[in-house]
Amino acid sequence: MAFEIPKIKYTGKIREVQLGTGAKAVRIGGANCYPFHRFEGDMPNVPRVAFEVWDSSPEEWQQWAIEPYGDVLSDPVAWARKCVDTYGAEMIVLQLRSADPNGENKGVEEVVEVVKKVADAIDVPLLVWGTANDEKDGELLRRVAEACEGRNVAVGPVSDKNYKQIGAMAIGYSQVVMASSPIDVNLAKQLNILLGNLGVNEEKVVIDPTTGGLGYGLEYTYSVMERDRMAALTQEDAKLQFPIICNLAPEVWKTRETRLTKDEDPKLGDEKRRSILMEAVTAMTLLVAGADIVVMRHPDSVSLVRDMIGELCA
Amino acid sequence: MFLIGENLNVMSKKLGEAFLNRDAGPIRKMAEAEAEAGMDMIDLNIGPARKTGPDFMEWLVGVVQEVTDLPLSLDTSNIEAIEAGLKKVRTRPLINSISARPERMEALMPMAKKYGAPFIGLTLSAEGIPRDANERGLCAAEILAAAASHGVAEEDIWIDPIVLPVNTQQLQIQGCTEFVMMLSDIAPSSKSTCGLSNVSNGVPAHLRGIMNRTYLMMLKRYGMYSAIVDAFDNELRAIARGEMPGLEALIHRVMDGEDLDVSKLSKEESDYVRTARVLMGQTLYSDSWLEI
Repeated sequence: MAFEIPKIKYTGKIREVQLGTGAKAVRIGGANCYPFHRFEGDMPNVPRVAFEVWDSSPEEWQQWAIEPYGDVLSDPVAWARKCVDTYGAEMIVLQLRSADPNGENKGVEEVVEVVKKVADAIDVPLLVWGTANDEKDGELLRRVAEACEGRNVAVGPVSDKNYKQIGAMAIGYSQVVMASSPIDVNLAKQLNILLGNLGVNEEKVVIDPTTGGLGYGLEYTYSVMERDRMAALTQEDAKLQFPIICNLAPEVWKTRETRLTKDEDPKLGDEKRRSILMEAVTAMTLLVAGADIVVMRHPDSVSLVRDMIGELCA
Repeated sequence: MFLIGENLNVMSKKLGEAFLNRDAGPIRKMAEAEAEAGMDMIDLNIGPARKTGPDFMEWLVGVVQEVTDLPLSLDTSNIEAIEAGLKKVRTRPLINSISARPERMEALMPMAKKYGAPFIGLTLSAEGIPRDANERGLCAAEILAAAASHGVAEEDIWIDPIVLPVNTQQLQIQGCTEFVMMLSDIAPSSKSTCGLSNVSNGVPAHLRGIMNRTYLMMLKRYGMYSAIVDAFDNELRAIARGEMPGLEALIHRVMDGEDLDVSKLSKEESDYVRTARVLMGQTLYSDSWLEI
């Protein structure tokens, strides 16, 4: 008898979620097999890279992270445009750093103005990432949902503390929510149940499992995502059958290993190459675990990741 | 099943202050209430009690013995406090507990022998909490061997497989259940018990009962001899006494992998089926497990 490769029996399917509108809208999810297991099932939408753009000039970026963007870093609109026009970004994540109560703490309206300008300047999908401060995001993201009416943007992170405020507005203005839980599969499921009870449409939810960078908790995120996908695909857990986003860029680029130069620690090797590889490896690992969107910073890391996705989906 | 009441506990919100102030009134009242509720034994959990351990245990045993003759489970990690309790009790007590850590076994097993007291053997080793049924088996084997070398009879060993909270350690539940299934082969004369309520630690308060009761039915099926339980859960006591055979049969069907249609069951039955599925690992736990 001929040898037969054992196959996993899947019973579930990830829901498809659309981001953005028009010709550049992107569909994610839809797989009925483990990530890249295309020999066992369908993966109708390839995973995507989203470029991050900050709403205020980053003060502490490494020279080798600034390099590809140069003077646009002080202008979120120009920055977003450069990501799209020069680096071929298929979606933009606008990180609302200036609103952080532990930082600049800019007012909601001032921040929302910038969001609107960026939204107007690009035709690819926009994802708006708040401060991860439940209270501030509760106010800020509900206004973002309102101000971006008609654009089908994604707003998050939405937590179990502010899901009612943000979720209600997302329903009202037909936006997508990024449901965030602290590296815990049970809490991820619970938040999705709560969003469902609130009335958020099942085609409007993306999971943010909370991302750790390589060397800084990546393995925890990885195993939680594995369990998310096992429950969704082999246990028919309808409350986990949503695409996953990993906002990894800020996690990777804040680590000591992306900051030290070769002169400071010769055994770590060239700082630029090292940082790019750390970002690319973090993204690749998360993609293999089941990420549908990886949020990234350096165009060279993005190229490496796109190559990998291309090869695995060829 | 042999039921041990858990409600005299130094961590208790209700009694914390009474314990702190050595206020005998509320303690006595609770002991009476546990006895009235039909417990077979009363657990006296004084925590680590590092400073005042022996005096505290002696006092507590004295207070409880004023109102009941039920045997007592001396629950503390303080070795001197256990000995103080052993000296004070009138009825043959239970030492709670001896883990598989060498220093605990060395210190406490001679004491068990000297006072002729049975003990709870906690399947916890120097490496921490076991990760699956086999590691639990290893801990149990170490405890059994050490006890034999100290001349303690197997029937005086109550193995505790360590029940972990389902909300954060769902995979561990199956390891615990499987081990209980194996235990009668490993040590046929030994007994078993567990801190049942730990399964629902962190679960929304109003749902803890059904989680505890469902897990009790599962463990009971595999021969769990005893459990440390909330003395005032009437339904749980009825299950332990074998008064709810219909419900138990339903849980057994879930355990046997039968695909029950919950829409055809009563609300109560479907809640139990959903809960059993969570404890079997068939459904991922979430706080709203009864609603979906």
